[in-house]
Amino acid sequence: MNTYVNIGKSEKRIDALEKVTGSAQYIDDIRIPGMLYAKIKRSAFPHANILNIDTSDAEKLLGVKAVVTGKEFAANFKNSFFGSPMADQPFLAVEKVRYVGEPIAVVAATSEEIAEDALDLIKVEYQLLPAVLNVQDALKNNAPLIHENTNNYRYSSNIKLVFNNNICSHIEIINGDIEQGFKEADFIFEDTFTDHSSHHVPIECRGAIAQFNPNGSITVWAPDQSPYGGRSLIADALRIPESKVRVITPTYIGGGFGGKLRLSGLMPIIAIAWKIKYHPVKILLTREEEFTSTTVRHAAIITLKTGVKKDGTIVSRHAKVMIDTGAYADRGPTVLGKISYGCTGPYKIPHVKVEAYCVYTNKVIAGAWRGYGIAQACWAYESQMDIIAMKLGIDPVDIRLKNIVDEGYITPTEKQEAHAVGLGKCLLQVKEDIFRKRKDRILENRVKGNGIACGYKISRTPSGCNAFVKLNSDLGADVFVSSIEMGQGVNTIFAQIVAEELTIPFDNIRVLPADTDITPFFPASTASRTTFFLGNAVKKAALDIKKQLFNIAKDILKADEQELSLKQGLIFVTKDPRKTVKISEIMEKTYPGGISFLGRGTFYHYKKENLPSHIKVKIPPTLVWMYASQGITIDVDTETGRIKILKVSAATDTGKTINPITCEGQIEGGVMQGIGHAMFEELIFDEKGKIINTSMLDYKIPSALDMPEINSILVEEPHREGPYGAKGIGEIVTVPTAAAIANAIYDAVGIRIKDLPITPDKLLRALNNKGKSI
Amino acid sequence: MDHSITLKINGEFYKLNVKSNVLLLDVIRDEIGLTGTKRGCDTGECGACTVLIEGEPVNSCLVLAIEVDGKDILTVEGLVKNGQLHPLQIAFVEEGAIQCGFCTPGVLLSAKALLNTNPNPTEEEIKTAIAGNLCRCTGYTKIIKAINSAAKKMQRKE
Repeated sequence: MNTYVNIGKSEKRIDALEKVTGSAQYIDDIRIPGMLYAKIKRSAFPHANILNIDTSDAEKLLGVKAVVTGKEFAANFKNSFFGSPMADQPFLAVEKVRYVGEPIAVVAATSEEIAEDALDLIKVEYQLLPAVLNVQDALKNNAPLIHENTNNYRYSSNIKLVFNNNICSHIEIINGDIEQGFKEADFIFEDTFTDHSSHHVPIECRGAIAQFNPNGSITVWAPDQSPYGGRSLIADALRIPESKVRVITPTYIGGGFGGKLRLSGLMPIIAIAWKIKYHPVKILLTREEEFTSTTVRHAAIITLKTGVKKDGTIVSRHAKVMIDTGAYADRGPTVLGKISYGCTGPYKIPHVKVEAYCVYTNKVIAGAWRGYGIAQACWAYESQMDIIAMKLGIDPVDIRLKNIVDEGYITPTEKQEAHAVGLGKCLLQVKEDIFRKRKDRILENRVKGNGIACGYKISRTPSGCNAFVKLNSDLGADVFVSSIEMGQGVNTIFAQIVAEELTIPFDNIRVLPADTDITPFFPASTASRTTFFLGNAVKKAALDIKKQLFNIAKDILKADEQELSLKQGLIFVTKDPRKTVKISEIMEKTYPGGISFLGRGTFYHYKKENLPSHIKVKIPPTLVWMYASQGITIDVDTETGRIKILKVSAATDTGKTINPITCEGQIEGGVMQGIGHAMFEELIFDEKGKIINTSMLDYKIPSALDMPEINSILVEEPHREGPYGAKGIGEIVTVPTAAAIANAIYDAVGIRIKDLPITPDKLLRALNNKGKSI
Repeated sequence: MDHSITLKINGEFYKLNVKSNVLLLDVIRDEIGLTGTKRGCDTGECGACTVLIEGEPVNSCLVLAIEVDGKDILTVEGLVKNGQLHPLQIAFVEEGAIQCGFCTPGVLLSAKALLNTNPNPTEEEIKTAIAGNLCRCTGYTKIIKAINSAAKKMQRKE
């Protein structure tokens, strides 16, 4: 058993002091002399040809410095569509608009108010086109085409496109023979579950500052979960070298949850920065724009046909998936991939077929959202798991334990080896916490119920990354990484790792904000990958410094490097601890006048993206699996349909907990976001595809009054390659919540809700419908 | 038309000329340069811009600067006294009540207003006091715990 000094300890967050004193810097706190302010003119229609844009009156307004339209920008940057994995999005709409809120033109002025006033002076002539507002309509034979020329777009070879209709991408996974599996089954269940669009609602609205520089380079200050991803998106679209684009993180980001990814909602800033040249220009989205014009969570329709043996063993599953990606692909094709791979849940299912479609509609763009599709899949498979358990008369915990993947099991969809499966432990802990205390089921018109659900997710590779650590002569250390601190606590985790390895005081360590000119590559602070992948790189960088120090110390102490140990900044001969030299002495004596020690760390795992039909593949050694289970106790008011969540027991497999208090914080916040999505958060579209609840009053997120008791349980099933065994937990903590609530409702009142969100009126209708499922 | 107003912010007096439609939030952030007060919605729904006016928590995005002429205003920057953190700030650090930090200044001020009038609040009273401060990261558990712990410590000191 390893004993650690800093790892596993609830060290205080290294960003906490700045954040409680108001000195923490976010994008809106940056002031650059000469900075102009931009506002975006947006489409009022879901689908229309742009016949003409007249900006002349706007340009005449005192204080307006420039106006740029899509046509003008596209004339200078040919085919400048951006997007990954599919470049289908213009910086500003050129020939037509595809959703209400799509950027058409940008104004830069000396103040925000003037820019805002100028928007009203821009005249746009539209020719309206019929709009497609849901996936069913989009797939009809005579549906209007949203993108006429998808075959002209550049796209990743990893995705399969379907041309000349509104299908953005398609995935088919076949493993085994589902028909054979259904023959072997004693029971077959077929259920359709739907999930809705919701918004990340970070408390900080998105913003950015951009500047074109005289040497042709572009500098962007933006709260972006992927500074390198944002950089490559701009460079790729404008056909300029990536090194000419610099993306700087404004120290802190006021919440991300997958939304602030690759300059989502912010790309028009590049067009206006190009137009005004050499002046910094800033944009800050309003809360309304956050709702109408940044990415949202994918709505999904998932049908699961599942064959089961009498004893509860799952033998076959046929999944059909449709997701609504809105007007542009954004991350839709890869989110579709995660839902498709995730349709089995963390269960052994020999025969699987998945048919999945990512569909364009004339609505706001959907993108990455905490869980990346896995939450939608979990909503379906964990709801159905309870339907199966009830029918077969098997305990919901037992049926899950029976089917959970084992160590070394090759999963049917990803074709990857399951490793460090802490899910069984999570389930048993939750069962102990929730189901043990079953009592007082009926209290007047309030009925209690318990529900349980399990989630899993993998962090796909490659996720290569580097880290630098600089050890200063005063034994302070600076960590250079391109992860971003958006609240998840990653800076604190890295400080703990460096303190642990170099045995210097935790308080001496700083983590610098990401800057693509300074900090090295990291794909994105997404996919719960940062602690695992970048944590390894940081650890290696610290160990690199330790090796350099030992290399000098060995001569001073007259011993081999292997014979040396390090403790509290002191290097000593392990077998003869009297022979010592301090790190500070090494630095002072070897380099009089001063020096810093530079450590480098690289962590790279190439994971071939195996095509699902290729069954015989070599299984690479690493993939991070994340597991969680949640149990929820509710009571239902049968007169009003109102659901009160009494308690949540949330067990999460951390691999190895590096900082217990930040892990608990992730769980508590994840559960809360899960509750919000499951019970009341929903973007409501009118008949023209316009979102009508665009304020935090009309789109309610949980407040402190909605807060149930949450028991965060940290289970540790160490990962063989995680730093100290750790894995990420940021997404999995929100994944099982919705299904656990639905299962608790069934337990309480015998009603199965298959359509999120579960609002009181929906439940009341079902209750009044004499318990028939809706 | 510009109006001449005087604001007492964090104990210091500021004489300003402001237009009649300028928000207190903008004066605090742009004129005074205290950016700890955050803008989250501009419509009084998220609570990130909460400041105390004469001890009362108010969304500074809903108040015109000219309305508070002569008033005593406290922002998050004013919580530190003589270089010492306020017990609420200490409790937020110790209990892990902070994640992205964007709601933190507003929550701290709502909590301070609560403890000024109710030094020993129940959990329900704490929840009610911060119900207007939306947080998307923490799930509120540790925030509630931190306010409770600060209240206990402040009571022991008195």
